[in-house]
Amino acid sequence: MKERLLIANRGEIALRIMEACEELGLDYVVVYTRADEESLHVRRARRKFRIADYRDPNEILAVADEAGCTAVHPGYGFLAEDFRFARRVVKRSRPLIFVGPRWEVIRDLGSKLNVKRLAREMGIPVIPGTIEPLYNEIEAEAKAEELFQWLVENGEPEPRLLIKASAGGGGMGIEEVRELDEVRPIFRRVRAYAKRLFGDEGVVIEAKLSCFQHLEVQILGNQHGELVHFGTRNCTIQSPGRQKRVELAPGFDPAYLTYGFSPEKVLEEIINHSLKMAEAVGYDSVGTWEWLVTPEGRAYLMEVNTRIQVENEISARISRIRRRPVNLIREQIRMALGEKLGYTQRDITFQGTAIELRLVAEDTRRNFRPLSGTITRFQYPRYPWLTVRTHVPEDRPYTIPTEYDPNLALLIVWGEDTPRALERAHRALEEMILEGHTSGGGPLHSNVPYLREKLKEVYRFPV
Amino acid sequence: MGIDHRKINRLLQKLRSHPYCVYAIETPHTGYLRSFRVKEGSEVQPGEILFLLERERNLKPVKSRVSGRVQRLRQDLLDRFVEAGEPILEIWHPLSQEEVISEILQEALQVLRAPETARYLPSPEIEARLRKDGPGKALVHPGEDLLIMTFMKRETPIRHEGPPAVIYRVFFDPQEVVPAGNPLLGLCSPEEVPYIDRVLARIREEWPEQ
Repeated sequence: MKERLLIANRGEIALRIMEACEELGLDYVVVYTRADEESLHVRRARRKFRIADYRDPNEILAVADEAGCTAVHPGYGFLAEDFRFARRVVKRSRPLIFVGPRWEVIRDLGSKLNVKRLAREMGIPVIPGTIEPLYNEIEAEAKAEELFQWLVENGEPEPRLLIKASAGGGGMGIEEVRELDEVRPIFRRVRAYAKRLFGDEGVVIEAKLSCFQHLEVQILGNQHGELVHFGTRNCTIQSPGRQKRVELAPGFDPAYLTYGFSPEKVLEEIINHSLKMAEAVGYDSVGTWEWLVTPEGRAYLMEVNTRIQVENEISARISRIRRRPVNLIREQIRMALGEKLGYTQRDITFQGTAIELRLVAEDTRRNFRPLSGTITRFQYPRYPWLTVRTHVPEDRPYTIPTEYDPNLALLIVWGEDTPRALERAHRALEEMILEGHTSGGGPLHSNVPYLREKLKEVYRFPV
Repeated sequence: MGIDHRKINRLLQKLRSHPYCVYAIETPHTGYLRSFRVKEGSEVQPGEILFLLERERNLKPVKSRVSGRVQRLRQDLLDRFVEAGEPILEIWHPLSQEEVISEILQEALQVLRAPETARYLPSPEIEARLRKDGPGKALVHPGEDLLIMTFMKRETPIRHEGPPAVIYRVFFDPQEVVPAGNPLLGLCSPEEVPYIDRVLARIREEWPEQ
């Protein structure tokens, strides 16, 4: 039987999944909410169903059954890392294929504490801190003292700790500690917050690194035990709310910048560690191992993202499989359908630098305030070195829905080397046209000036 | 005193000529429309079941939130799979005295409207004051946070800009998304409160509760 995918997501990722399905000759069905009626993912799909909420598993599964789908692709965000959803998809009376890792893998790698515990057992470095939730403030203070000591010994000029709700995420329930005296009151506050918000008063403490680069390793595995990597990415440039804005592949470029350590060695180390953990858990889809690297070249595993990511395409852009272009979503679907890779690590080669620029409707001068409104004119240039991923139409006005992140487009630029990629990134931003008005009637701002400014900082450690 | 009585009279006249509010009842989510519990022309009360929607083997009774007469019932959708937001029927709801007052207050008061389609909730201080003093008495000072707007996954405070004012009416439900431009709060100066009270007394007299 021909497979049919239910695309349980919106915007540009829904469009990328549609494209991958078309390349593989698979049928697909799209869902959308009323707020997304004007999105290109809805306009381009032949079969579509309006649902109440992308986060509601019942909506997704009801449509999957009605449309005769055999598989569900969750994209990123929403239900992508919800192991209960993944489990329900495969265990229901009419089971479907979940395009992602096995639900047990999502469950085990979805917990940051669990990843830390596993990493320590395997001798993989993690940021020093607790690996079990703390409930007692005396224990917390003792642990904090130990961590302050570690930071001082590692040359941190202003040692800081982070106290976090262990069940938290997305930056919620995190407070910074500067002195040992602050530990108890902040611990109590975070514990109360955690109880209120997450129903679990467990708290974790970890050392805060003041200067680091954020690197990622792109992994692809399958149920036959095959495992390869598609290199590394650098996602250091983020907004104050820790939202990525400029990403590069590969993770370091020694031809562009001089490092105070061996970048080749660090990249090899984080790739090997990531592959080792992926092998240990039987990782069977696309996934990202996220690392923090200090200016001294020390690398610490931060977390694992068990899904396709926004920035996957820059890894694909610099990769070739036997000289042919790579589409990681296509590979992810093929693996979910039980296929074998058909190539090995030796067949994968890398060339050039890719930069992804996330175009967002936000006022970067006013604390990155998200903006709603209507885009009246949107045009982007066409070049062989530029891929634009967007759900925003060029041929008609588009009102930005207020229910979701105000992401408008991804500009993926490739160059033979970093200077060439940077030059092209500037050119793409220069030639792009985005005009519109906010719901209050003022001009619609985007983060284009911020992106242009940030291109000066690529590959550098933040000052 | 800024109350325009002519404007209020015009609005009252308009409401008298069409004393209904038409509520379009849509499916809250996808599913099979399994049965109707009302007929075309039925009179319904709040809480009465209108139809049953089945999704993932669960039957959801969709209930009326208002009283009124059922119109434009979509019999053709029975036993069919329906998308979320599909119009199923209309309820022609006769306007109550309280609803007429709400309409009038939107004319008589200085209305703070939703700047964005978003969720809103009163700031903790305002919520405490509204709970303690009640609408019509709760005072707000210049520069104070009136509301918190939850928008695109972020929270933004909305401050009161202007002289001290009384929150006379809360027009929104914190549980629901408020479309941009819809009224959130009705404000007036403390001196205007007796005039507004008088306008409301007039409506209560002219539009008796049914």
